Amino acid sequence: MNKGNQYIGLWLILLISLALFIVLSAYEPIKICGVEIRTTKVYERLTREPEPTPEEIAEAKQKEAEEKAAKQKELQKQKLSEPQTILFIGDSMLEGLAPRLASYAKENNHKLYSVIWYSSTSEVWGETDSLKVNIERYKPTYVFICLGANELFVRDIATKRDKFVKNIISQIGDLPYLWIGPPNWKPDTGINDLIDKNAEKGCFFLSNGMHFDRTSDGAHPTRNSAIAWMDSVVRWMAKSSAYPIANMKVPSEPTARATKQTVYQPKR
Amino acid sequence: MDLSHIWHNLSEFLIYQKDAPMLFSSGIFWFLFLLFIPIYAALKNRRWQMILFVVAFSLYFYYKSSGFFFLLLIGTSLLDWSLSRMMLKLGSKLAKKLCVFTSIVASIGVLCYFKYANFFMWNWTQMIGGNFQPLDIILPVGISFYTFQSISYIVDVYKERVAPTKTWLEYLFFLSFFPALVAGPIVRADYFLPQISQNKKATRDEVYLGFWMIILGIVKKAIIADYISQYNDLIFSNPTGYTGFESLMGVIGYTMQIYCDFSGYSDMAIGIALIMGFKLSKNFDFPYKSSNLTDFWRNWHISLSSWLRDYIYIPLGGNRKGTIRTYVNNFLTMLIGGLWHGADWKFVFWGAMHGVGLAIHKAFKPILNKIPNVWPVKAISWLITITIVSLLWVFFRADSWTDSLAIIQNIFTNFRYDYIPVFLSVRYIWVVMISIIIIAHSLPRRWYDVISRWFVHSPWIAKFAIFVIVVQLVLQFMNEDVSPFIYFQF
Repeated sequence: MNKGNQYIGLWLILLISLALFIVLSAYEPIKICGVEIRTTKVYERLTREPEPTPEEIAEAKQKEAEEKAAKQKELQKQKLSEPQTILFIGDSMLEGLAPRLASYAKENNHKLYSVIWYSSTSEVWGETDSLKVNIERYKPTYVFICLGANELFVRDIATKRDKFVKNIISQIGDLPYLWIGPPNWKPDTGINDLIDKNAEKGCFFLSNGMHFDRTSDGAHPTRNSAIAWMDSVVRWMAKSSAYPIANMKVPSEPTARATKQTVYQPKR
Repeated sequence: MDLSHIWHNLSEFLIYQKDAPMLFSSGIFWFLFLLFIPIYAALKNRRWQMILFVVAFSLYFYYKSSGFFFLLLIGTSLLDWSLSRMMLKLGSKLAKKLCVFTSIVASIGVLCYFKYANFFMWNWTQMIGGNFQPLDIILPVGISFYTFQSISYIVDVYKERVAPTKTWLEYLFFLSFFPALVAGPIVRADYFLPQISQNKKATRDEVYLGFWMIILGIVKKAIIADYISQYNDLIFSNPTGYTGFESLMGVIGYTMQIYCDFSGYSDMAIGIALIMGFKLSKNFDFPYKSSNLTDFWRNWHISLSSWLRDYIYIPLGGNRKGTIRTYVNNFLTMLIGGLWHGADWKFVFWGAMHGVGLAIHKAFKPILNKIPNVWPVKAISWLITITIVSLLWVFFRADSWTDSLAIIQNIFTNFRYDYIPVFLSVRYIWVVMISIIIIAHSLPRRWYDVISRWFVHSPWIAKFAIFVIVVQLVLQFMNEDVSPFIYFQF
């Protein structure tokens, strides 16, 4: 450095800054006056266990699914042939989906409790215990989720929302579930991949790629399109779901009212 | 703490990752730059070792951004340099022209293949009918920039404006110089090659001025542009899903975003080069202060517009072949400039409309010059210019022609004044950011000189504090999401 003295000051500023941000990242979460100080996460990124390759993930997932399936198969089969108590949670897309699922429930002697949280995202549900609270309240035997439409364009979603998606799934516990993916109106930044990665095999319905007639907002499917959407989900469940509900005959009425519907207002 | 994990994760950072090009605002770049500085400082007096080191770093930088396409960069430089040396030995003008022709055809050919092959083929199949299966072509990062540098070098050598470099390594240094490699400014051979020969050391003041420019660039790019883009993306991804007022905000937002994004990155490039003792020319000079389109293009992406002027407009005849030809040349130059931005008709349209605007301004200049240049006239001129520029950015940004028209139509037919207070209360950070840009853009130039001088001579701890605060702000805003307003429909 003796031949480049003009650089010493700058170099030290950069070095000390780097050291500071690495040290801070080892101590997160840090809060000052109630404000969370976000860190570079360098420490976590450097010390985390190497991520398994996609093949390893697929293999582990397969194995996990097979083991779980084997254990629960008999039990679930027995249970899934009985009338179900369904809890359906999610964002405003439930406006269209829940009435159709309610109609299936009515036709087949199931009960449906729906919880719409307007403008909600995986973050909103994932950072609260709302799902767990509703499970304790309604004691469902099956959980439906439809989330993701409000986070189609969030950048770096795989890193930002992973823990929330995991948290939502962990709140479900051992209950059979189905996560209905958002009805994309533009390519997303990875929410569908993220849910698919975290959900158990046969518990994620990919809505992306389906045709939807939209309402004037350009995002929500029309009433008829939402009915067709729910019908596709039910048909898919019979063939591909890890937990197909036995009695899901197509209802005579296009829509019905849920046993109970709860509405949460937007968080902001 | 498992050291093998650290090593594994670090090596993951250091290899090419398709979705993570090395940007100046990324942590990995600053980690590597921290290693780069002491070695560069130690080698600065040994010119050849310094050149070799910077070339190696630049190629690695390019590898991190574009994988093995760095070999293409090496190939291009080898061909250009060989042809430029050949020109020096050739006596015949025709033979020299052949060298220039070969180099340009090779450069443009490679660019066309990677950037325009699918576009041309798609248009061709549209004309003749039939199915089009796009080729799986990955566009090497920065190819448009270094292709223009390569053309300027070979043409300047032919015109004897610059002497060809004695060694290939010097030319590769020029072509691959990492601060300007992936997003400009487009470096001109006649400006840059003498700096390599002189190998001037940066003064302490230049080092800190460079650092100041980097900080400014980070604020513009990584804080402001990246934050406001989230809202703008929502508007452009769902053109009819918002009110006209929200769409208008999206258009204004994108106008500011593209400026902060691009000029911020240019500032960082210029700053890094300055720290190394190299001067890159200014790329943006308060373009949104312009009161006509001609002025706008003198101040927007200056390295590109001056390149287009010198290597397209003037060779086409410039303004030397009569009024009509001047307009046509202007139009064609802007058309090519538009296509340079991307292989899509929307860019062609954007360039063409700017070409038309420039021609109209030229045509009316004699009349406009007679109007007294008082402030109301200046204000109206500015308003007309910024409106044209902003509306044309809509075509530049939107995914399709239909989306562009939908957004513009929405502004005029579904404005909804009642959304203004709601917008201001919910999107207040966005509004603050936009206000900061507008205020910063309106400040007198000399204020920037005063502030930068203050920074350069400020105590070490002040520089450190400013840098840390800026990086922390980047982190704070990086994870801030702007959710769509779907619930507004209910």
